[in-house]
Amino acid sequence: MISRFQNYASLGASYFRLNLSAMLEYRAAFWSQVLAMFINDGVWVLFWSVFFSKFKIVGGWTANDVITVWAVTAAGVGLSGAFFGNAGQLPRLITQGQLDVWMLYPRSLLTHFILGRSSASASGDVLFGYIAFFALVHPNLERSLLFVLFTVSIMVLFTAFRIIAGSFAFFLGSASNLATALEFALISLSTYPSALFEGAAKFVTFTLLPAAFVGALPVEAIRDLNLEKTVLVLFGTLIFAALGVVVFYAGLKRYESGNLLEMRG
Amino acid sequence: MTQLRKYSFLGLTAIRSSFAYLGEQLFGLVFLGVILFIFLQLWRATFAGAGAVKLGDLSLGQMIWYLAIAEGVVMSRPKIASEVDQDVRSGSLSVQLLRPLEYPLAKLTSSFGERLVLFGLIAGTGCLLALIFVGTIPFSIKGLGSFLLVLPIALLLDTLGFLMVGLSAFWLEDTSGFTLIYSRMTMVLGGMLIPLELFPDFAKPIVEWLPFSSAVYAPARLFVCPNLELFWGVIVRQGLSLVVLGLIVFLLYRAGLKRIHSNGG
Repeated sequence: MISRFQNYASLGASYFRLNLSAMLEYRAAFWSQVLAMFINDGVWVLFWSVFFSKFKIVGGWTANDVITVWAVTAAGVGLSGAFFGNAGQLPRLITQGQLDVWMLYPRSLLTHFILGRSSASASGDVLFGYIAFFALVHPNLERSLLFVLFTVSIMVLFTAFRIIAGSFAFFLGSASNLATALEFALISLSTYPSALFEGAAKFVTFTLLPAAFVGALPVEAIRDLNLEKTVLVLFGTLIFAALGVVVFYAGLKRYESGNLLEMRG
Repeated sequence: MTQLRKYSFLGLTAIRSSFAYLGEQLFGLVFLGVILFIFLQLWRATFAGAGAVKLGDLSLGQMIWYLAIAEGVVMSRPKIASEVDQDVRSGSLSVQLLRPLEYPLAKLTSSFGERLVLFGLIAGTGCLLALIFVGTIPFSIKGLGSFLLVLPIALLLDTLGFLMVGLSAFWLEDTSGFTLIYSRMTMVLGGMLIPLELFPDFAKPIVEWLPFSSAVYAPARLFVCPNLELFWGVIVRQGLSLVVLGLIVFLLYRAGLKRIHSNGG
């Protein structure tokens, strides 16, 4: 089990290095995307910090919490794009019948497939998240460790969510727009205070759109150093990761090849 | 006159084509539903927290209807920037130049046509959701008339802005970062998230004269809370923005054409 994990970690590191080298071939384009994403995240944080300081509406949430929610979400989602960027391509490749090439390798199809691509702008998200948190929140050691842990758990959860949303293409034929809409909806829900959602809406943030495990619970766990919420986030992440695998392989039985001739370098 | 008919025909063709692919856009409405629900919760809490019946001279109901229209403008954003970027970088612009059409005008009219249909779908759904969430608000014929006069100019202005961004591909290796920043400026400075009345006092007069607010804030505000003074002010600002942006696009295109090297083949 451990050697298998090490094997895939090594594969992931190799893919990341290769993808980074490929992106750096167009150095100006790469850095402009990183910078643009960094500015984009910064604009949102600035805007909502000003808004929430003007209107005291959310019990317990301070400007630090707003910065933390954006930082942890951006870094986690960014890590997902940087290491598992192919998960976002899943609906398109299913629709076009282009998964064949990934089936030819002696590797686990899903793990190998999601490792196969990196997004340049995702690096901007990661940089922003870590810099904003450490520079603006000034956390102690425990909070810093929790932040790192949650960026990894969000990376796993967001990747699993992308796999589930993308796998709808196995059943619907085309699901790119649906998957994109669901991803945006999850990120949007994640970056607002949990106090805004009660009843059925709160239930949705733990189930259909698991924003609670991305934004609210990690922020409250970091702020209050709360073990119970930390365990809840990790548990929720594991459930969604397992669900992602189950949905993908259930859908794969319905996959139809596009019979395209394709080569990978 | 022939020129006008030619470009009108392009716009009408784009409208007909958009109707054919309307089904693809329906999934995007999932995101609209989520975002309007979040804003409903956010503004409910804001109004309750401030203990106010009106904020920025808008009631809660008017605020949600305002957001429905503003979201319609922003979410119907055309892909014109990435299309122009592709045309320039792939070299297919040289093929477009053979046609008896001015390339920027052809792109503008065709994108504008697509956008009209998309705006109708998104804003229509947004209004339906607003009706469900907060009920109806007072409307007047004069108000709706002023909205209908201002709306096409607003959509044209925003499309022109993204055309300008796309034309920067003559100089930049990749324009996606610039597009992201421009679209965020449209959302934040355009007043999509909060109406201009709630901006800090020092920022309001500056933001008011930027093209972003003429594209987003102006039609949304006139839709929910029309007044004659605002209408004429908007018309003047929209006219000025059209002239300035039109001139920038003209100069960029002329300068960009000189950078084209055709190698045949």
